[in-house]
Amino acid sequence: MAAPHIPNLNTLRRGRIRGRGASRAGEDHGSRTSGKDRVVQGTDNDASVSRLSAVELGYLDDPYAAALTPPGSATRRLPIINRGTYVRTTAIDQLVARFLGPYSPESQAPKKQIISLGAGSDTRIFRLLSSRNPPDFVYHEIDFAVNTTAKICAIRSAPPLQCALGIDSSNNEVTVSEAADALHSPSCHIHPVDLRSLSANSPSPETLPGVEKGLPTLLISECCLVYLSPSEADQVVSFFSQHLLDSVDDTTSKASEGSEPTSQPKTPLGLVLYEPIRPNDPFGRTMVSNLAARGIQLQTLHRYASLEAQRTRFREHGLENGQAAADIDFIWEQWVSEEEKERVAGLEMLDEIEEWQLLARHYCVAWGWRDRDEVSAFKGWKDLQAQAGE
Amino acid sequence: MSDLDRAIEQLRACRLIPESQVRELCYKARELLIEEGNVVSVDAPVTICGDIHGQFHDLMELFRVGGDVPDTNYLFMGDFVDRGFYSLESFLLLLCLKVRYPDRMTLIRGNHESRQITTVYGFYDECIRKYGSANVWRYCCEVFDYLALGAIVLGASSELEPTASSANDTTQSTMPIDDGELETEVLNSHGEVTMSTYRPRLRSSSNISTDSRNISPPRDISAAPGQPGMPVRSGAPGTGASADGNGSATTSRTGAVLCVHGGLSPVIDSVDKIRLIDRKQEVPHEGAMCDLLWSDPDEIEGWGLSPRGAGFLFGGDIVKQFNHINGLSLVARAHQLVMEGYKEMFDGGIVTVWSAPNYCYRCGNVAAILELGEDTSSGGTVSRSNGDYGRSNGILGGDAANRVVSPGRRYRVFEAAAQDTRGMPAKKPVADYFLVS
Repeated sequence: MAAPHIPNLNTLRRGRIRGRGASRAGEDHGSRTSGKDRVVQGTDNDASVSRLSAVELGYLDDPYAAALTPPGSATRRLPIINRGTYVRTTAIDQLVARFLGPYSPESQAPKKQIISLGAGSDTRIFRLLSSRNPPDFVYHEIDFAVNTTAKICAIRSAPPLQCALGIDSSNNEVTVSEAADALHSPSCHIHPVDLRSLSANSPSPETLPGVEKGLPTLLISECCLVYLSPSEADQVVSFFSQHLLDSVDDTTSKASEGSEPTSQPKTPLGLVLYEPIRPNDPFGRTMVSNLAARGIQLQTLHRYASLEAQRTRFREHGLENGQAAADIDFIWEQWVSEEEKERVAGLEMLDEIEEWQLLARHYCVAWGWRDRDEVSAFKGWKDLQAQAGE
Repeated sequence: MSDLDRAIEQLRACRLIPESQVRELCYKARELLIEEGNVVSVDAPVTICGDIHGQFHDLMELFRVGGDVPDTNYLFMGDFVDRGFYSLESFLLLLCLKVRYPDRMTLIRGNHESRQITTVYGFYDECIRKYGSANVWRYCCEVFDYLALGAIVLGASSELEPTASSANDTTQSTMPIDDGELETEVLNSHGEVTMSTYRPRLRSSSNISTDSRNISPPRDISAAPGQPGMPVRSGAPGTGASADGNGSATTSRTGAVLCVHGGLSPVIDSVDKIRLIDRKQEVPHEGAMCDLLWSDPDEIEGWGLSPRGAGFLFGGDIVKQFNHINGLSLVARAHQLVMEGYKEMFDGGIVTVWSAPNYCYRCGNVAAILELGEDTSSGGTVSRSNGDYGRSNGILGGDAANRVVSPGRRYRVFEAAAQDTRGMPAKKPVADYFLVS
């Protein structure tokens, strides 16, 4: 139970290390940008440590958490953080499960695809592959090359991860790029791509090999788009919704002679967001300034400051069939069964109820989708309980 | 300068004292605390403080706002440790001040003053990190076991003395002053009055529903010095603060104030029952002692299950009945973060005082301390009122015959100490927020 967050008083007294932040502001623009990226990339470490903490205490069952956490960084998180990690993970798991639908190894169910933006060290792909084998989906992870390289390195050194991906000596369906920053297998693709480079002009097949434009698709952004500028974040979503997945299939649209391009049926697409909200109350303002002190800027936070703003965001992206959102406190109260709540509450004494609610009300899960009647890929989302109001 | 004074000076500078000195301090503190009853009697004036949680620099801000020890008589309602970066410095300083000025410093136990909780919420880790072993943690936990479970404040005035700064407020001196008494005043950290409420002066002619005993302003406080069970504080270390009052609270016209960290318990219907608990142990998982440290008031009727997994929720009817039975006018407690620093509930029958501003360096809340003035009983005070501002309904309604008058309450609200000037770490612990790239 190390506590690295408690500062050493001696170094504080002597060091006066406060100057560091000030000097960063003086650097030239170019290195500042890459410095900011580094900070954002570093947040992934926080996430994997938090996940491992929640797993080790029994909140989550995730056999892959340890292999994807940097060795030596395991730390027991505070109970409210563990509960938050639990709620956020299980909420998105549920959205994913309802998107994929019931699994049956026999049925040749239509495949679906999941694209995880800024996936980092996320373990969801491994958990899905082990529970739905043979897979009825294709999973894509997109992240900075530095993060994909680290992940592929972790995969290479951890047999359980390889096993989940179906890698063994006889299997040559899995390829890793020369730079060891990209991985491709029939059901899993790891793409070393800076999301900001995705635009309508980028040659999509080369950029994201393996993405099939006709498959019902789920985009997941767990605290990813929030780091981009509002226009960059818009551009990323538009890249998928308007450009890459704009139509079911080029050949079918050509076959239907005479039809207008605008009437082409769009690929069913859902977007799941997990991000902070409500930056304008005292807690929110403190959060913004504390993160700023760490060099973290949540650039879209003020634009999508409320549940309603998130719902509007989905509408603006043409996800017209449904727009819903709920904060983490609501999801804990409404989505988690009483029995499960009791189990989780029994894992650790959570003393700080007020603080938990305060924290949990400043994070939300939001989900919106567009569908086609004959596909109805997102019908499982319709009866999920969403939170009304701001 | 004595060793103790030197230690105080050192801790005030946020520098730790050697382990051997901690051991000695804890030994002395235990000797002192063992003499205290489960419910310590404290005479007004007193300044009541809520959770500190190792936010040392904010504790210094509290002393700046509330006055220094021993000039101000303090009562801290527990949760000195855990969560903040400086639990050791905060708790050891408070303990030094307790040993140095035992009758000007009352410490009662919070739910975090426990072995089990401190191993989860940071104090244990901090001890290991700063002293290299668990010895100091063990010394401190032994002190925790001897902390009182509650306190009774006696002799509080029903009426506030005007604050010094209110002289700036010209309305105070020009408005009529004969029609009410200042009951609640809220000040910011600069001592400026930001809110005040008045209660109508109780006259039989103006309030026919009032029992005649309540006519005069309650200056004839019965908890006068020299009564049996009302120790007169001599100031001699280790003697003054310890003896228990003996039900004398119930005769006070201005009802006594019970201070406890969490709240009430379904198995405790009188203050005297608290006195019967064998408190010198780790905080149990259930029972009276646990409830006192863990329970919360809530807008319910009767008792409810606590979402904290320990203690109970209790409603306004419970508070009203408990106050009535025990001749209390107010229960002051801490335990719950309130964004405004304090929160009165149930017609002023209970108040939550929270003294950790920007809790965990994250919550953005302000903090408060509660000052209860001394009843001078001499009639020398001049009430101030503008007559028509915020007439208080703070008097417990209903049964006029058993009415006790609530004390005048002055809340001093303050913000977190400025980080830049206090050598606070610029970087926050990474676990503060849920993040993922």
